Amino acid sequence: MTAPPTPALDSPRAIANKSRKSALLAAIRMALRVEGPAVRRNVQSLNRNRYVATAAIPNYEALKNRAHAIKERALAQLDELIATLEASVTRNGGHFYFASTAAEATRYAAEVCKRRGVRLVVKAKSMTTEEIGLNRLLEKDGIEVAETDLAEFILQVADEQPSHIVGPALHYSRERITELFKRAFHTDLPLDTGEELTKFAREKLREKFLDADAGISGANFVAADSGTLVLVESEGNIRMTTLLPPLHIAITGVEKIVPSREDLGPFIELLAASGTGQPMTSYTSVISPPLRNARVITDGAPSEREFHLVIVDNGRSKMRRDLVLQEALYCIRCGACSNCCANFQAVGGHAFGGETYSGGIGGSWEAGTRDIARARFSDLCTGCSRCVAQCPVRIDIPWLNTVLRQRISRHDSSAASRAMKQVLAGVPAADAGASLQKLFFGRYDIAGKWGSRLGWLANGMSRLSVTRRLLESFVGLDRRRNLPPFASSTFIHAARKRTPRSGPAKAGAARHKAVFFADIFTNYGSPSRGLAALGVLEAIGVDIVVSEALPDGRAALSQGMIATAARQARRTASRLAPFLADGRDIVVVEPSVLAMFRLDYRHLLTGEDGRKLFESLRARSFDAAEYVWKCIQEDGLDAAAIFPAARSSRGTRLFYHSHCQQKTIGSAAPTEALLRAAGFDVITSEAECCGMAGSFGYKKEYYDLSLAVGRDLFGQVQLAEAQGERRVIVASGISCQEQLQAGMQREVVHPMELLCELLIEVVQPVGAVQA
Amino acid sequence: MDLIEQFENAARDAAATVERLPRSPEKIAVAVGRAAPGAQRIAVAEPHGLPAELFDACRRLPGVFAGRSKIEWSAAEVGITEAFAGVARTGSVCVSVDQGDTGYASLLARTHIAVLASEDIVERPSDLFRPDRLSGKGLLGNYVFVTGPSATADMGPLVRGVHGPHHLHILVLV
Repeated sequence: MTAPPTPALDSPRAIANKSRKSALLAAIRMALRVEGPAVRRNVQSLNRNRYVATAAIPNYEALKNRAHAIKERALAQLDELIATLEASVTRNGGHFYFASTAAEATRYAAEVCKRRGVRLVVKAKSMTTEEIGLNRLLEKDGIEVAETDLAEFILQVADEQPSHIVGPALHYSRERITELFKRAFHTDLPLDTGEELTKFAREKLREKFLDADAGISGANFVAADSGTLVLVESEGNIRMTTLLPPLHIAITGVEKIVPSREDLGPFIELLAASGTGQPMTSYTSVISPPLRNARVITDGAPSEREFHLVIVDNGRSKMRRDLVLQEALYCIRCGACSNCCANFQAVGGHAFGGETYSGGIGGSWEAGTRDIARARFSDLCTGCSRCVAQCPVRIDIPWLNTVLRQRISRHDSSAASRAMKQVLAGVPAADAGASLQKLFFGRYDIAGKWGSRLGWLANGMSRLSVTRRLLESFVGLDRRRNLPPFASSTFIHAARKRTPRSGPAKAGAARHKAVFFADIFTNYGSPSRGLAALGVLEAIGVDIVVSEALPDGRAALSQGMIATAARQARRTASRLAPFLADGRDIVVVEPSVLAMFRLDYRHLLTGEDGRKLFESLRARSFDAAEYVWKCIQEDGLDAAAIFPAARSSRGTRLFYHSHCQQKTIGSAAPTEALLRAAGFDVITSEAECCGMAGSFGYKKEYYDLSLAVGRDLFGQVQLAEAQGERRVIVASGISCQEQLQAGMQREVVHPMELLCELLIEVVQPVGAVQA
Repeated sequence: MDLIEQFENAARDAAATVERLPRSPEKIAVAVGRAAPGAQRIAVAEPHGLPAELFDACRRLPGVFAGRSKIEWSAAEVGITEAFAGVARTGSVCVSVDQGDTGYASLLARTHIAVLASEDIVERPSDLFRPDRLSGKGLLGNYVFVTGPSATADMGPLVRGVHGPHHLHILVLV
């Protein structure tokens, strides 16, 4: 295969449009090489601050529900709200304009400026004006546009697109800004500190503010009942833009409208905390322009204030009619989904983003305001789900990206190839656009079944360089990765052959009844952790049976093969239903599979029956360690007596990395609690995701990115060990385990394996007296 | 912890300075002198909620200007305004932006001094959006939540003092 052509590597503009895959790959290379370190530092700092700030908000979860409900209501009655808003703005003495397209919006703004004889516009940061390409049009009309947000100022000087929704220039280190300014402004001024750079830009812009004939801003929220705008910032440039020039034009998307002024409260509290991780940013303006009572300061004749509100549609109505993409319209542009994303932390929005919008939510916006091919970068969403709990309006971002992936596959494929895949491979029509690579990873159950049957032969083959080359060429499996070896004896086979450990209670009298779900990853790839889990569960007195091995749909879903995933989900749920009816809980060792039961199945099990089944699956499925911890607590058992950590031949000091989806569904904390209760000294990783993320890190086009993400985690292990002796590396997810093993060349154990080794004898429950 | 104390702590966390004062025009003027010693150009914006005489002594400070030109405003060192509300959880003060010069005085001067009556402190920002609070003052006006001095992290490290004031000093009248 020939390498894709490499566009100018240092020019983010050249690779902003990622309709072609080669642009996406070039952007990843550029970002890893040039922008990665600054992005990582800045984004991870925003991420840490957000966790602190949101934890301090009273009733945070309830506030998110309220915000979600307000957006839902607003979008349902949008047409009426637009009419109400127009009446409010007119009543306030302003002008209202609804622009259906980007061209209409820019033309309107340019005409207002021309009519008022505007020569200089000061502009506040606005993603919507980036989206509609306002500056270019105004400049073509001979109007000077001064971007006044310091980040946008940097981008204007450098001619680059934003790399982050909130911090558009956070891919620039201080050193690179110094270099840029010295080159662009031919200056010998000392510009070697943040203060000096800020002073330099401030002085340039202060002149512009005082001379400007017009200010153009966006708006974070707009209340229809009063024509009130909310504008959130820290530098003071938005206040200048809306107060100093006599003419103010606000341009914003139709999705920013909320019904009433009273609805603004929850958003004001959520936006700053979720965005920059502050209780409030320096300035939050709440204004219903024109500001009639504030005189215009002028050296010439007194001038009347004039205000225009331009509400932009530009594809949003179409998004609203799209049953999936409509959820993206809830977005309040806080950037939390970018900040908590491990891939975004490594490359930023010049790789994980398009011409305007970036990060997890960015794909939906580029697809909605431009076209589906522009959303190709959303392939960098691994579905790790970390953003699901971080989004202040509860958008299920991974689901949006899964649907985009399916649509892009379809867009990329020919009708003939789809027909062939349907006929020859039995792929459902909706998924038939999937590439060979996606089919390979999406149907891991097939690879696993044959790999296990062929046992040593398959494993031996997969280690041969010729096989690796073939796999790389045909299915895009990076030749530097080792496929996890297929188990020559599957978990199901081994479980059948083992003698159950006799627990403290006889079957039938057990207080806890459960079925162990034999997921395909454990069954074909890692039977030992499943067997260990059975031993541990039996030892604490759980009456446990093993299910048949079934593909749950995770592999297919991660490739955007939604129809396949739904089919597998329905089958798995129907096979588990009798166990639930029999009073058995469901125990799972692979966190990504448990996340299907707790999160993703709500999209896949539809209809009244499906919804009910999902609800009981969600309530009654548990991670193995979580279940052990729950039983031990309910039965008043002593974890340290059952699993005496001091006996471990591996040592008592652990480094525990919880799986990304495990964190989201809340089963990481109980695992850590269990390990600590057993007597282990546990340091936990702060990495949002290991970087392998299921199949992502195996794909040849993403190998380098996956490793860059992984290095964060490897560094944390090294840091933890720098203060003392070596630690046992423990991980719950199978792909986290592979990533850590490959990156650190160390053994990595599952919590169940660790605990099973410590079991000594049958434990009699203490205080397990039935009421 | 009472609301005033919570407010003071949160305001300090946001890099503002805070002091409590009795409702005395002279004490306010002295506090202004302490907060910005030797200031030559001071803008005093008329209060609309607080009694106007509270700012009397401030108006007599040397360097007070009442100009209307760009050049005067661009050289302002201190801006004194009232704050019609404070927010305990975030340490914000709410300042009107379309009553006379309050918008300019709170934005263009290097030091902004906000005068807040302690009974106008509410617990959290969303309280200002409830019609029953402060007789709906928050709901009705054009204003800005000011939380600390202007700041940026766009040039690398955190820098305080960008386009807006470099210092925010809050006088809480008890």
